[in-house]
Amino acid sequence: MTMVRKPTSPITIGVRIALAVVYLVPLLWIVLTSFKDGADVIGSSTALFFRPTLDAYRNALSPELFTALGQSTVIATTATAIVLLIAIPAAYALARVRGIVPTIGLSVLIVLQMVPQTATVIPLFQVFGSLRILDSNTAVILADVALMTPFAIILLRPFFRSVPPALEEAASVDGASSFRTFRSIVLPVVRNGIATTATLVFLIIWGEFLYAVNFFLTPGNYPLSALLAQQVSSYGINWPGLMALGVITSVPILVLFLFTYRLLKEGLTVGAVK
Amino acid sequence: MHFSSFVSRRSQTVLSFTALGVASALALAGCAPAGGADSDDNTITVWHYYSLDNQNAMLDQYKSEFEATNDGVTVENVYVPQDQLNSKLIAAVGSGTGPDVVVFDGYSATTLTSGGVLAAITDEWSGFDGADQIAEGAVTTVSGDVYSVQGYVNTLGLFYNKTILDELGIEPPTTVDQLEDGMAKATAAGHQGITLSGQPDVQGAFQAFPWLTEAGFDYAKPNADALSEGYARVRGWIDNGYLSAQAPTWDQNVPFAEFMNGNTAFAENGNWQLSSLESDATFDYGVVPLPVGTTGKVYLGGEAEGIGAFSKNPALAWKYLEETFLSKAGQLVALDQVGSLPTRADASADDSISADPYLSQFAEAIATQGAPFPDTIIPPENNEAVINANGQAWSAALGGQTSPDQAASDLIKVLEPLLQK
Amino acid sequence: MTYLTIRVPNWPSSALRRRGRRAAKSRWIYLVPATVFLGALAIFPLVQLARLSVSDVQVQNLNSDWPFVGVRNFIDGFSSGVLSQSLANTLVFVTIVTVVGLVGGIAAAVALRGTAKITGVLLAAMVFIWALPPVVNGSVWKFLLADDGLVNNVVNLAGLQSFPFLYDERYALISVAVVNAWAVIPFNTLVFRAAVLNVPVEQFEAAQLDGATPAQEFGNVILPALRPTTIVLAVLTIVYAFRSFDFVYVMTKGGPGTATQTLPYLSYQQAFVGYDFSAGAATAVVAVLFVLILAGVYARSVLKEESE
Repeated sequence: MTMVRKPTSPITIGVRIALAVVYLVPLLWIVLTSFKDGADVIGSSTALFFRPTLDAYRNALSPELFTALGQSTVIATTATAIVLLIAIPAAYALARVRGIVPTIGLSVLIVLQMVPQTATVIPLFQVFGSLRILDSNTAVILADVALMTPFAIILLRPFFRSVPPALEEAASVDGASSFRTFRSIVLPVVRNGIATTATLVFLIIWGEFLYAVNFFLTPGNYPLSALLAQQVSSYGINWPGLMALGVITSVPILVLFLFTYRLLKEGLTVGAVK
Repeated sequence: MHFSSFVSRRSQTVLSFTALGVASALALAGCAPAGGADSDDNTITVWHYYSLDNQNAMLDQYKSEFEATNDGVTVENVYVPQDQLNSKLIAAVGSGTGPDVVVFDGYSATTLTSGGVLAAITDEWSGFDGADQIAEGAVTTVSGDVYSVQGYVNTLGLFYNKTILDELGIEPPTTVDQLEDGMAKATAAGHQGITLSGQPDVQGAFQAFPWLTEAGFDYAKPNADALSEGYARVRGWIDNGYLSAQAPTWDQNVPFAEFMNGNTAFAENGNWQLSSLESDATFDYGVVPLPVGTTGKVYLGGEAEGIGAFSKNPALAWKYLEETFLSKAGQLVALDQVGSLPTRADASADDSISADPYLSQFAEAIATQGAPFPDTIIPPENNEAVINANGQAWSAALGGQTSPDQAASDLIKVLEPLLQK
Repeated sequence: MTYLTIRVPNWPSSALRRRGRRAAKSRWIYLVPATVFLGALAIFPLVQLARLSVSDVQVQNLNSDWPFVGVRNFIDGFSSGVLSQSLANTLVFVTIVTVVGLVGGIAAAVALRGTAKITGVLLAAMVFIWALPPVVNGSVWKFLLADDGLVNNVVNLAGLQSFPFLYDERYALISVAVVNAWAVIPFNTLVFRAAVLNVPVEQFEAAQLDGATPAQEFGNVILPALRPTTIVLAVLTIVYAFRSFDFVYVMTKGGPGTATQTLPYLSYQQAFVGYDFSAGAATAVVAVLFVLILAGVYARSVLKEESE
């Protein structure tokens, strides 16, 4: 059963136009700049009409890029998986447990969210140094998980809250253990929420830069986010290179989003089948 | 009671793949990635923040030449983003690690020394036969010990668009009044007068210093009147339309890019821009030292080099510095690749500088106007706070957030406690 | 709404409650992994931050002893006016980012809740933008908002003078905040959209049968369904805005002067540009304390939920 189609209201059209202007124009600027020569970037005479060049992309597509891409993928995938493993049960518990615990728990999570990343780099550096895991993916992954878990729990909790308790009670009455109820009954219902949260967590870790740059000590380990930083220095900003790298970095994100978008669409129809 | 099966085949498959994925990723993650550090005696790591092609070319040349003359030795150049380098070095101290050689922003020398990042190189320096060739201002000494040296300097000069100046009959200015006359004529003819940086950070402070010292400011006896005069002068340029009101949002590169568009008469900028002028300028150009009179000074910027306090190979690290950044041949490499000016007298006397119409002007600026950066009078641990306050005051005055008088007195209030030893 | 037909057998309610309590007890285990992990890696830095804020730590003693100085860092900050000005800037900044971010997110989620191609393209563009690092996004807007940038070109075409978006002390803060909100809207849109899609089709059908206008549908069906999500996103957005400094860093560096210096930027500047780590920590703690007030409000609403 699909959603009933009706004519789109003018407000909706207006909002869509506004969104298109505000998001497509900068996107266009970014893509155009990535095809410019450095000298053409500043100055309105060459804003729209210039001789396009692939130099920026050619320079960006080095073996270094592919190593960094691999690093980004490993770090983001592993960290997201661990975040989900920890945050999903925690969000479920905070949604179901009664009393003062959820209040305290959520307040603590919010406070943890507030601690600036710059304030955690140095203590974590010392912790990882004494654990001898500096200069490895493990350090960055652990730091990213600690960073994103509060966020994921806060985000997932309302999805668990919206699962009707009657559902779980029925299953437990039927003899299912608490864990089986959780796994087979509750999880599928919050699929949308988990997919959304997982996507967002992945995207944020993909772009995370501070931990990656600080915890790796030898060359060859930086993820993509650090390569971007290399385009900017007080001696000059490589605008075409920066934009080209930005585009290259975000394309995998786009792919991931399209994948989950389709998953979300499917989730809709599965849920509606009686 | 019935309920339909929720655990569809599909989600089961998805779940098991995820589990498999996590397991393998964890396994991968545990492995040390490629390029792990060699801890043997023949590798030295060099931490730097160079991101321009020509800067990296210089570093690569140093690496290949050193490895060629020192059998079995490997040099590992490690890039760290510029605004992360100092904090990463300081964090590493807490873990007892760090690089063998550090190439960092010269003005942070005293800060890094205070933070325990650099090893004292007093003995190595006194045993170095090139030591007398290098100006005192390029060597950082804290409590009697030498900690870092600058192999080259970058500094500011006044670039001018010769095409515009010729067209309007303006001579390259030698005093600040002449500069203002020139800018007035240029603006009247529809051009921009000058571009410079007004950013509230070290870059703004770097560019503010010539004008503040021209008005008589001195850290030895800081006085608000000189500051106020300097701020008021440049603020006046904005009010008269010689300088864009956007200057407070500009670092040092955007103003130069504006100059390169060909419609600006003057630009206050550095020698590192020379190579892009050479390749991309569509007009005739020239350089003169900034017309800042007898009291005016320019900071000797550029990177400094030192040895990490936790280096496992300090002797080899010092040998590297001796043969690259601090040798005559090495400094000429820096000149050739990046256009940076040597700190050694014998390298500075090289023909390539005196014969070059632009480099020679910068060399003259260094000789007649150069001032050490960080300023030796400022207590080492307060250096960064002083620079920062300077940048903010400059930006506030130019941006109109405060009047020049107010900006000056605010800065003096902040400086007084910081300048006391 | 039900996905399935359930016939609850006639069990006495006390037995149901007992089963419920047993289930609840076992749920505490679910909290263990998170508590252990966060306790080890997230609480420790927080404790360090608090310790730093009440000590005197500069670059020379960061790695050795930290002398205790009580609340001196806080007093110095407020008496010099630096902290109070930053706090004021931050409040303006947070308000703009939150309001624009939430309103924009809801509007976009509702306008893009369909599965038509155009919505797919727009959502993809928004996600692409959101995924770009602040250095790219902030730089783009720095160009677009310049005196000769695209936005001012349009303004000039309309006959007005160029706006000093980034170098006037009143405009600068608003400009950076709006750009930051722009960068955050796609995130809010995705989450709101997931919540809108969770609203059962029957409710929309019922509204349609009742002859509701789009505005009524929005007010009576969509908005109430979005309430829990709105609260969560409000919290997350406010927390994010209180912490956000990348856009200030890229676009204005806290300037002109100190006009866009928010608490997180001040904290970064004090600790990593001025190397006064204890002042930076104190500034961060002020921001944390402020958010605690907010956390309290959120927690109260959570408690109210419990009693429903």
